[in-house]
Amino acid sequence: MFNILSLVFRYLFIVIIYLFIFGIIRLIYLDIKSIGGSSIQEDTYLKLINRKDTLPFKVKEVYPLSANVVIGRKNENDIVIKDPYISNQHAQISLDEEAYFLEDLESANGTYLNGERIMDAVKLKNGDRIKIGQIEFLFVAND
Amino acid sequence: MLKKIFSYKNPQNLIVLMNILALVLLFLYKDQYDRLILISGVLLMFIIYISNFILLKTSSGDHYIFLIMGMLVSIGIIMIYRINSTIGFKQIVWFGISMIAYFLAYMIVKKGKGWQRWTRYYAAGSLILFLLTLVFGTKIKGATNWIRIGNHSFQPAEMIKLVFVFFLASYYVNKDRLLNKYVFLGIVYAHMAFLFVQRDLGTAMLFFLVFMTIFYIYEEDRKLIYYNLLGAGVTAFFSFLAVNHVRIRVETWIDPWRFIDNKGYQITQSLFAIGTGGFFGTGVGLGHPEFIPEVHTDFIFSAICEEMGIFGGIAVIMLFLILVYRGFKIALNQQNQFFRIVALGITAMLGFQAFIIMGGVMKLIPLTGVTLPFVSYGGSSLLSSFAALGILQVASEEIESEQEEEHEHRIQEDH
Repeated sequence: MFNILSLVFRYLFIVIIYLFIFGIIRLIYLDIKSIGGSSIQEDTYLKLINRKDTLPFKVKEVYPLSANVVIGRKNENDIVIKDPYISNQHAQISLDEEAYFLEDLESANGTYLNGERIMDAVKLKNGDRIKIGQIEFLFVAND
Repeated sequence: MLKKIFSYKNPQNLIVLMNILALVLLFLYKDQYDRLILISGVLLMFIIYISNFILLKTSSGDHYIFLIMGMLVSIGIIMIYRINSTIGFKQIVWFGISMIAYFLAYMIVKKGKGWQRWTRYYAAGSLILFLLTLVFGTKIKGATNWIRIGNHSFQPAEMIKLVFVFFLASYYVNKDRLLNKYVFLGIVYAHMAFLFVQRDLGTAMLFFLVFMTIFYIYEEDRKLIYYNLLGAGVTAFFSFLAVNHVRIRVETWIDPWRFIDNKGYQITQSLFAIGTGGFFGTGVGLGHPEFIPEVHTDFIFSAICEEMGIFGGIAVIMLFLILVYRGFKIALNQQNQFFRIVALGITAMLGFQAFIIMGGVMKLIPLTGVTLPFVSYGGSSLLSSFAALGILQVASEEIESEQEEEHEHRIQEDH
């Protein structure tokens, strides 16, 4: 009985250990991939505040902002984040007369600016914290 | 449902699964139906799971190193328990104590201030410990590096390892704390001389490699590095000629088969064990690792290779590789110079220690007795490895308390 079990279990042990190693390497891979190409030329960008390795999905350290940016889970968005707490089209940051405005696109879990849930379009200033789903960004604008 | 819980996306659950399977297997082993194994198995899983949970809640730093360590400890305990159940249970108790040491080291190093200022105290502390070992030391297994207090014996060298890393780091943060670099080199080589006198060659080699790594990276006088390497080479050669203890190690490394009935016995048995295992191993409990003397401490890697196969052995090596990779990443990300060097030193220490003993039992390099970190049986070794990991955890976090200002500051620097 023991012998048969042991002969079967030896394969199981090896499969489990390798699955474990694969799991760890996958997490590290996601971590490294999000670092790549983070050279910043743009003046205005979103910077991730969370530590990347605590998040189980791909997210970049820095997102440069152009005139109009939509954040959401769907692939058509300008910034795609596969966080389950983020809606398909979650929020929008738009440029209007030299100033950036943050607007919630009727998302399920809401968009927070400096800890407060926003209702209407809000003007962003340097150093604002934007929270979407589990992710928190720092808004950086250098003039 | 089951597939979702035990998928590769949840590495900590895989550790639990591994332990449950081992529990079932060891419960049936030799038809003993031992109650102790049930208690210890549940205890082991409980400690790993709870500790991981606490760590996720309290630490903002790296969360991989703890998981990797959990897997290594599980593999180690399964093998040790299978070799000798009394020792296996002791190892689980030691693991529990080490977990406390881990969190203590984490708290103390995190809350403490001014670690980089105590260069002289580190040097004095470790030299005093060495002297104590020489005076009160007892000889166990050919090396005089144990101090016996009552019924318990411990290896001061394990503690000195950590102090040594702190010493190196604090020196390179501020070199003015010692008179000049020759005093520094003198203190470093005094460590190795003491270890050599105690006949603890493996640990002496380990200290040298850790020292050389940090020395190579941070020393500005590049010529001095080559002089040191040259000097070490010459010393090694002359000790091979003059010291009997060293010559035996080299001879059994070059040709163990000639001495198979005496001094080459251990290494040849280890090679037989690795050979018997094949790709998938004989299966846990079906091999004969007990033929190798000291299999539960230094030669645990041969036992893993025999019963879990070469794939199991490669897996252990890969786990150490990932651990070292994470350690270097922590060192690179750390902004505080002192903790940067400490992280580097600890990583080098764990990595080289694993290399020295795994290389030794495979006859890749001359065999010297050090333990395989996290896997081998041994209280002092487990305690110091866990304390080292706790300090590495501190180093993986941001050290400055003015986190927000730091953050802003670094964004400016990026441009």
